[in-house]
Amino acid sequence: FRFKDSVAEELRRADLVISHAGAGSCLETLEEGKPLIVVINEKLMNNHQLELAKQLHRDGHVLYCNCSTLVETLQSMDLSTLKPFPPGHPEKFALFLDNVFGFQ
Amino acid sequence: GGHTTEILRLLSCLSESYCPRHYVLADSDKMSEAKIRSFEQKRAETFSSAQFTLDRIPRSREVRQSWTTSVVTTLYSILYSLPLIYKLKPDLILCNGPGTCVPVCISALLLGLLSMKRATIVYVESICRVETLSLSGKILYYFSDYFIVQWPALKEKYPKSVYLGRIV
Repeated sequence: FRFKDSVAEELRRADLVISHAGAGSCLETLEEGKPLIVVINEKLMNNHQLELAKQLHRDGHVLYCNCSTLVETLQSMDLSTLKPFPPGHPEKFALFLDNVFGFQ
Repeated sequence: GGHTTEILRLLSCLSESYCPRHYVLADSDKMSEAKIRSFEQKRAETFSSAQFTLDRIPRSREVRQSWTTSVVTTLYSILYSLPLIYKLKPDLILCNGPGTCVPVCISALLLGLLSMKRATIVYVESICRVETLSLSGKILYYFSDYFIVQWPALKEKYPKSVYLGRIV
């Protein structure tokens, strides 16, 4: 996939996604409504990228493991425990800005 | 790429009162221009008055670039963006975290001190930032007029920020 511009097609056809903790990958997958297992790279433990993956896991939207526990996770996972990821609300931002500038 | 996707989502519900839109990109950014043009094209289908421009400035800092060289490259970017901001005279500067936004905002602040019309600076921290701010965020928390965060932990740590929930 290194040379593909977008994995959107593959994402739509997938039943399960296993990804690194990159925010773009996580959000794209969750918005497509696909179950996601995030694999944490221990060598990058101080990377801020983990913040979003951890929060998504706390909120029950993704499963979470590291390279050595991936197989075990795949064997014992229960995807029905994953909660759907609600969309964001850009209209709230628009409303906020309209108030700042006095637009109706 | 992530920043561009987020900022276009932020723009998606704005009315045409926010027009014309001037996009400022890093010179080395190869992917954002296409996304922006596609967004504006769709917009022009609904709003006939949609207008936008695109300008590029030198990238102020590469990921994990050292502190000392970052100061030099950021200063260079500020010098470059001063005439651009002076020409554009924005009412609102909306930014969401890439290093590119720092020289733009600093230029606007400097020009504001020299009595050019003062731009309102609105900073929206990326949705990826749950517990800590980005470097741009840490700087612009003090210089922005409105600083928006998307997770409650940040609102607690940075009380002057605005929390509207997830907005992208």
